[in-house]
This record gives sequence, structure tokens and C-alpha cells, in this order.
Amino acid sequence: MTTPRLSIPLIATLVGAAGALAAAAAARRWLDAAEVRGRSMAPTLLPGDRLIVESATFQRRQPRAGELVLAPDPREPQRELVKRVVAIDAEEGALHLRGDAPGASTDSRAFGALPVAAVRWRVLARYWPPARAGLLP
Amino acid sequence: MSLITRLLRPHRIVDAHCDIPCGIYDPEQARIEAESCLRIIEKHDASDDKLFRARCIHVKEERAELVKHHLDVLWHDYFKPEHLDQFPALHETFWNATKQASKVKQTLDVAAAKELLAMIDTIDEMWKGTGGPGKTRVSGRPS
Repeated sequence: MTTPRLSIPLIATLVGAAGALAAAAAARRWLDAAEVRGRSMAPTLLPGDRLIVESATFQRRQPRAGELVLAPDPREPQRELVKRVVAIDAEEGALHLRGDAPGASTDSRAFGALPVAAVRWRVLARYWPPARAGLLP
Repeated sequence: MSLITRLLRPHRIVDAHCDIPCGIYDPEQARIEAESCLRIIEKHDASDDKLFRARCIHVKEERAELVKHHLDVLWHDYFKPEHLDQFPALHETFWNATKQASKVKQTLDVAAAKELLAMIDTIDEMWKGTGGPGKTRVSGRPS
């Protein structure tokens, strides 16, 4: 007797969960989570920090100096870098990236400027660790 | 708890990457190996012992190879494109110095070994001129 009463909320929960997963998968084109590896962005970003990144902004406008961005390593494109934009050459369409720890960073000083089109993701916020969670940069 | 942690863990890894985390450079490293080459050539020339002379040649070739290696590391990793503005002859200087190290590896020419030292000293000036001692060595070593 109790089974039918329980199964309706159960089905609703399952459908809801499936819907949430589908929505999350769709949203991943604009919004994603990423974990930081390496120390070249210290003290701003530390290894193990988890970030919310979004790709909507750079569809509307070009990156600006001071923003934190994700970019493919030009020497090893399957590796995704997180760096700060230090300068943008609007005429050339070239971005210069730098680590916040310049003494311990491989960046545009080593591999040169990147085409603006290569940079699609912007760092929006940090959600982990909770003590340092908040909007970035 | 571990399941929740795993679910929260992003699959996407972004690299705050650095090729050379240590960032320690000094042409002194190449110079010490080059000084070894010079001294070994002098010892070789002063000896009549066939075996000792053979050992000299062998060790000198190893040391000369290390000179090339240390110069290459400075060239690839320490010097940056902006240093070229300050020292336009940078590439040529390194090319000539590494070629000179090859010459020291191949020959028993004292003059060639001395010339190599002079070339490393030119690179040392570039390293000092670009702030190398302050940026790429750990301070506090007794002088």
C-alpha cells in the first residue's frame, strides 16, 4: 500500500536528477569547473584551487589586460594553461600572457604571444578551498 | 565523503605551468668545466705516461660536453627574447661559444681552451647585464 505513494516522489527525484545532469552537460559549453596544477600563478592561484570558468564573455568581446584566462600551450596544445593577460595588441590580435609568479612561470616570454581566438575561457571565481572562495581576478 | 569529494572534483585540469621551477642559472657552471679542460690539456702535455694521457683525453672530452650542456641550458632557458634587444649578438655569441666547446672537445689546443674561457666570460657579462646574479642565484653565499 505504501509503495505507490513512495514511488511518485522517487520517480520525480530520478527525473529531476537526470534533468539536472543533462542541463549540467549542456551548460558545460559555457560554464565549467577546473582544477589548478602548478605554482606559476602564485599567490593568486595555488595548486589544488578549483575554479569556475566561463566562455560567454569572450564571445562578446576580446580579453582585457588583467584578466585570468585559459589558453592552450602553443608548444603542447593538449595542455591547457591558466595565466594572466598582461597586454593585448588589438591590431595584431595578439595576447601576451604571464604567470603571477614570473620567476617560476613559462609564459609569453618563452612561447610568444597567442592569437586572441585561441583564448576562449575566462576565470570567473574560485569555489575551493572555501576559505578563499570568491570572484576572480 | 570521498564520493562527494570525487563528484566535486573537476575533470578539467588547468596548468599554471613552469618549465624550470628552480630558475637557478650561472655561467660559472660552464666556466668551471672549461677551466678543467684547459688544465687537463696542460697536464696531458706535461706527461709522458701513455695511459695518463689517454685518461686526460677521455676526461677532457666529457668536461667539454658538459660545457656545451651548461651553455645550452643558459641559452634555451635563462635568456629570453627581450634580452636580445639589450644584446643583439646573443645568439651568435652562444653559437660561437658552443662551437668553440666542440673544438676543445676534439683537440688538445691550449689556445682554443683559453679562447673558450674568454667566450664564456662574454656570456657572463650578458648574464650579469640582464640581472642574472640577483634573479637566478640564491643570495646569502659567503663571498
